[in-house]
Amino acid sequence: MSKRSCLILIAAVAASPVAAHVSLETKQATIGASYKAVFMVPHGCAGSPTLKIRVQIPEGVIAVKPMPKAGWTVDVVEGKYAGEYDYHGNKLSSGVKEVAWSGGKLPDKNYDEFIMQTVLTDKLKANTTLYFPVVQECETGVRRWIEIPIEGAGHSHEGKSPAPGVKLLPKP
Amino acid sequence: MRLLAALATLLFAASFASGALAHAALISVEPANGSTLATAPKVVELRFNEPVTPGAIRLIDGTGRARDETRVSASGDMISIEMPADLPEGTAVVSYRVVSQDGHPIVGSVMFSIGMPSETKPSASTDHWLGALIWLARVGLYLGLFVGVGGVWFARWISWSLTGVTVPRVALAVGLSSAVVSLGALGLDLLGLPLAALATAAPWKVAVATSAGRAFLVAAAAMLFALLALRSAWSSRALAIIAMVGVGLSLAMSGHAATAPPRMMMRPAMFLHGLCVALWIGALAPLAALLSKPMPAALAVVKRFSGIAMPAVGVLALTGLALAIVQVEKAPALVETRYGLILSIKLGLVLMLLALAALNRFRLTPALARDRGAQAILKRSILLESVIALAIFAVVAGWRFTPPPRTIIPETLLAIHIHSDKAMFQVLVSPGKVGKDDFVLQLMTGEGTPLAAKEVTLTLSLPERGIEPMEREALLGPDGYWHVRKVELPFAGRWRVRIEALVSDFEKITLADELEVPPP
Repeated sequence: MSKRSCLILIAAVAASPVAAHVSLETKQATIGASYKAVFMVPHGCAGSPTLKIRVQIPEGVIAVKPMPKAGWTVDVVEGKYAGEYDYHGNKLSSGVKEVAWSGGKLPDKNYDEFIMQTVLTDKLKANTTLYFPVVQECETGVRRWIEIPIEGAGHSHEGKSPAPGVKLLPKP
Repeated sequence: MRLLAALATLLFAASFASGALAHAALISVEPANGSTLATAPKVVELRFNEPVTPGAIRLIDGTGRARDETRVSASGDMISIEMPADLPEGTAVVSYRVVSQDGHPIVGSVMFSIGMPSETKPSASTDHWLGALIWLARVGLYLGLFVGVGGVWFARWISWSLTGVTVPRVALAVGLSSAVVSLGALGLDLLGLPLAALATAAPWKVAVATSAGRAFLVAAAAMLFALLALRSAWSSRALAIIAMVGVGLSLAMSGHAATAPPRMMMRPAMFLHGLCVALWIGALAPLAALLSKPMPAALAVVKRFSGIAMPAVGVLALTGLALAIVQVEKAPALVETRYGLILSIKLGLVLMLLALAALNRFRLTPALARDRGAQAILKRSILLESVIALAIFAVVAGWRFTPPPRTIIPETLLAIHIHSDKAMFQVLVSPGKVGKDDFVLQLMTGEGTPLAAKEVTLTLSLPERGIEPMEREALLGPDGYWHVRKVELPFAGRWRVRIEALVSDFEKITLADELEVPPP
């Protein structure tokens, strides 16, 4: 492969808006504000229909409310936060750590979205990317969208199964 | 009596306090042995297959100068050697002497070059005189334990007289001095010091800290008890028993066999084996002396001895068989390894000894009652037994220098160590050549404790030859390590190795490094 065609290929990959990954619809968000996280699921696991979507809530994200979805059961796992967060005058030290949609069936040929309302606390660092690791369980097989690139490790290869991320913007 | 009980308890506790595994082997070195580096490493790390205690660690730098400003620290199976900051260009040699859990020293050296390789010789550390001394002292120790303590026990419990205890008395003196020499020689061997260093405290301190050193102390205590049993009358029988227990304990505390898994079985087996050797061999010298005496007394003693000798020989054979099976594992090792050869010779001698014993028991002992001539024949036969027993001691003392086949691990030609603050992955590749290779992945946390994973994948690629990443699932083996068997490595070159360990549903640790597969 010549250098030029290689460059074109990289450009093409970078430009395609809907990669074949589970990803977040809104790619940028302001810290200290609410964020509607829309997880886009473009396909199953190697052709197998999706039966369950599990999302891990990263530290610093609070007041998580998943949106119910017809045909799916939504469950949350609550736990302790590592820190304490101010939320409308209350101190929150525990809350939703994981959200799971299950009981439905999303065929490989269809597309769907899984939605939750969240608040991005201002303890999060601006100008970094916040990752929501996702485990996609299918009739046969599991896809784990959990790879988080190491900060500053720009040279490392592009992960096969990156975790969906959102770029954090500073408070205006 | 209370004092004796306390001493006996102490002997017992000392012998089981040390946790031990096997004969240690070096499994990897960082930086790799024989590698050439652009800059001097800060630390050299030696990793063994079991926890080790550092003995003497020496560094000779590229200019051939011995450097003693290295700082050595050990944690578990790893020894880190901090290098001096001003290491010059050229080939440096790190020679090490460490103590494995069975109390035996392991020696070796590794080399690496900074900038350009230079000419160097690994320091020769084979001290023949010391090896001979260790062997000789070991034979002396066996004499003291088996002929000496066993003889005293025989005098106190079988013959009920002190007839013929001259030989055991001499054996005890030889054994006691041999125990001291063994301890000192062990210390010299561990630290790589010359004979003159025996005048300093260092070798003794190091030796006592090992399981072998403590075994020598227990052996010496057993022999002292036996000497006491020769003197005092009122408690002599109890003292003889304690001395015999000490013989078993000192053998069960240290050495290849006693520290082999399953230790719950091997230690008691070694204990019984040693005890029965003392019962049997210890009786020979006093018996021979008794047979020179008038008949009736000797006849009764020989009969009493026969009663106890038969079960003792049975236990001896059974425990010996069990120990041999665990140590040698496969029959071909009996002739292919030095350890196996020693065992083979020993077995040959033991068969001769058993044949003589059977002759004594079933032909000559019954003949004693009828025939006066039989007494002389029996005496000659017993003397011959003693000679064979001595030969067995001499042969078995050679085991000190040979690792049992059980612990010989197949040579791993390639090993890499991948480190991040989150995790350490140790990758062993055997045979480490072009063709089919087996990978063993040892996962640890950043602190060196085992890392539990749900799934582990190994990905290999060779970009320079256009080989795209090939992914293989690893399987968790019963040894706690992850295995990928029969991986095809079609070309030599710098392979990229990536290991992904899924530690929880949402967390994966990925580490990558390069593996240099040498051309065939």
